[in-house]
Amino acid sequence: MSVSVAKQGHVRGAAGNSLVHDEVIYQETRDMRLLGFALFLVSDVVLFSAFIFAYLYLRNTVDTWPPVVDGKQLPRLDVAFAAVNSCVLFGSGVTMHTALENWKHGKKAAFNIWIWATIVLGTLFLCGQGYEYAHAQIGGWSGSIFGASFFTLTGMHGFHVLVGVIYLIVLFLQTRKGVYDETHYFGLTAGTLYWHFVDVIWVALFFLFYLF
Amino acid sequence: MAVVSTTTTTVAPHAVLDHIHPEPTSFVRRYIFSIDHKVIGIQYMITGLLFFVLAGLLAELIRIQLLHNDARFMSPEVYNGVYTMHGSAMVWMVIIPLVTGGFGNFVMPLQIGARDVAFPWLNLASFWMFPIAGVLLFGAFLVGAPDAGWTEYPPVSLQGPVGTNYWCVAIFLIGISSTLTGINFIVTILKMRAPGMTLTRMPLFVWAQLSTAALSMIATTALAAALLALFLERVFGIPFYDPTKGGSPILWQHMFWFYSHPAVYIMILPAFGIISEVLPTFARKPIFGYKMIAFSSVAIALVGFMVWAHHMFTSGLAPWLQLPFMILTMIVAIPTGIKIFSWMATLWGGSIELTPAMLFAIGFLITFTFGGITGVFLAAIPVDLHAHGTYFVVGHFHYVLYGGSVFGIFAGLYYWWPKITGRMMNERVGLWHFWLTFISFNCTFLPMHWLGLQGMPRRVATYLDSHDAVFWNQVASISSFVLAASTLLLFGNMAWSFYKGKRAGANPWGARTLEWMISSPPPYYNYKRVPAVLATPYDFGNPLPYIGLDSPEGTLPTPQLTAPPAPAPR
Amino acid sequence: MEALATPEKIVAGLAAVLIGVLALIALKNDWKTTGLDNNLTKVLLGLMAFGCVLVIVAAFGILPRGGS
Repeated sequence: MSVSVAKQGHVRGAAGNSLVHDEVIYQETRDMRLLGFALFLVSDVVLFSAFIFAYLYLRNTVDTWPPVVDGKQLPRLDVAFAAVNSCVLFGSGVTMHTALENWKHGKKAAFNIWIWATIVLGTLFLCGQGYEYAHAQIGGWSGSIFGASFFTLTGMHGFHVLVGVIYLIVLFLQTRKGVYDETHYFGLTAGTLYWHFVDVIWVALFFLFYLF
Repeated sequence: MAVVSTTTTTVAPHAVLDHIHPEPTSFVRRYIFSIDHKVIGIQYMITGLLFFVLAGLLAELIRIQLLHNDARFMSPEVYNGVYTMHGSAMVWMVIIPLVTGGFGNFVMPLQIGARDVAFPWLNLASFWMFPIAGVLLFGAFLVGAPDAGWTEYPPVSLQGPVGTNYWCVAIFLIGISSTLTGINFIVTILKMRAPGMTLTRMPLFVWAQLSTAALSMIATTALAAALLALFLERVFGIPFYDPTKGGSPILWQHMFWFYSHPAVYIMILPAFGIISEVLPTFARKPIFGYKMIAFSSVAIALVGFMVWAHHMFTSGLAPWLQLPFMILTMIVAIPTGIKIFSWMATLWGGSIELTPAMLFAIGFLITFTFGGITGVFLAAIPVDLHAHGTYFVVGHFHYVLYGGSVFGIFAGLYYWWPKITGRMMNERVGLWHFWLTFISFNCTFLPMHWLGLQGMPRRVATYLDSHDAVFWNQVASISSFVLAASTLLLFGNMAWSFYKGKRAGANPWGARTLEWMISSPPPYYNYKRVPAVLATPYDFGNPLPYIGLDSPEGTLPTPQLTAPPAPAPR
Repeated sequence: MEALATPEKIVAGLAAVLIGVLALIALKNDWKTTGLDNNLTKVLLGLMAFGCVLVIVAAFGILPRGGS
């Protein structure tokens, strides 16, 4: 159902009748889906903002940052590795953007290359996160408020990246099945927006945990 | 999904209807897992009223306990669980689902001339999270009910029984459901209005739902974050709130109230919307100050985000921070006052018809205003320092949430019942219901104000042995039993009406919003033809501002619409 | 104080310059598009370019790190 409706976009009344009210027919148009998706992103921003507030609030309750746990000063996180990993994620944003541009212009082969580049970069970023988790010397998730806020926030972000990678794979499979064409590709737009959104959340987290 | 037919040459209305999701025939798809907004609305109402009974019984247990100050009926531990569950269930399983999911789903798409909400499948998912969350919440009784109050402040909530985890998951689920419904409603209202229905021609109930949807979409995710952190801390020991591990209990209070104060407006704004529909209909007058009422809903929603810390004046908030929160909280009284005065001006000089719906609306004006004014008292820091955590606060928010939201729900039930079922309720029983409820409500909650000012703390299983305290608590308890019994009149009336009630017809009240222009109950697709809207719906005395409507009774002209609708003749 | 120039930092800094420029080019190409999706994309691309600036700042130690 959903696919054919989305493709109709704007169904005219039967027999091309031009009565205004015959055209206002229940259906999910692209417009509605886009607004709904944007609102979903807004509510997701609030979810991250709440945890960022928690992080800043907790950080403000101690005299030194990173905090002192059991008389031991915790180290800062490794900024050099995170900078490389950030580039991996930001790079995937550029590749996804390029993929969608190629789709808009009907270049399906190029689209396939770029979306797979995005998927690979996204997976690489997740591996980088795993490496970082294994090597962060901040006393683990439950060790201190530093670990609690860092692992919870970046873990939530990582979960979003994971969902994004799966989403992109599904989108790729959908393009193989011919769900989208050059003029109707809302799923790809939504996927790209989501991927950019995940990138931008990382901008905030990178600043807050590694630079600030 | 039927294939769009472009080859048909005859224009039959039903051919047009083929493009909508088809009417299901199986019982399960029609009544259990329905994607029709009307069925989902009714499902919300039934489930919400069921939890209303359960949570109401918990309230009666509290009042039985407080008949005497010997703490004999329940142990203090059990008592803690009972009031926690009463509060949590009433807020999340009763009022919010009823006013947004119930009335919002049933009425709002009808009022804007839509055939369903924007995302029917999402709506189905939103609804089914609700009974699951409810079962989880009440299931907490089996494993040890949460006992830190509905606000679940740490560190007490960190030490609470395992049922607190159930509580976290249940509220998280209902929060997701609420967020998704909010998104769904915003898209519906912004994108699916009938032609000619500009924003300022929308019924005021729709304005209220729009503001509410924005609140639930934004604020509820903050609650989700707070709950997630509490759950992680309870289950995995991740330090967010526990001060012995470096966490901060005050952090929870910020995150919780950042949601839960807007949640107060989530509960009351749709009730405002219901009142704005009921009053003009039964006063036979255009609503006074349409735009001011509409915009004050939005203003309340906006300011509502900036007042949360007035719940935390006793939590050691920095003094320079307390003052702006006090002032902003008092500012909320301005848009609210605009509404109250506009409603009173609507009544002024009207030919008032005292149906049960109208009585509850007028009762709402009295009790809600009272609760609102004690709210301004509590916003003042010096008063709050004295009254915080006493029965004064309990009295205050029951006037707002029972005298406001629940009276609004009752008014809405009496008002839209004929539309929902196609039958009338018994008016005489309705009058009895109102008067018994109104009197016993005030006798239950009014004494709490002076009990609180004398220092009776909330959330304690007993109270001081003074003649006054015992007397007024017994007045409150006995009145609360009458209050509960009076609600049975409503349920009896509903059951009787469902089988035996007089047929209602399309528009028994002579109301003017769109939902009354189609048969009762509405057909599956709501509108065979979506009408064009020329003006606000409240201009009593003028012809109806709709054209192109298939009226069930054939009373409306249905001219062919060839040009875009003309501007409102005002 | 951490080492000013490790291989990782140089790689990250150069990559960030490249990605930032690409993001800005994409932003410039999209500049005149309209619609909610395109406008949102432009905002997000701009923020991502800002993220690249942050990476450059971090990699070359332009600003001192926070914390105390």
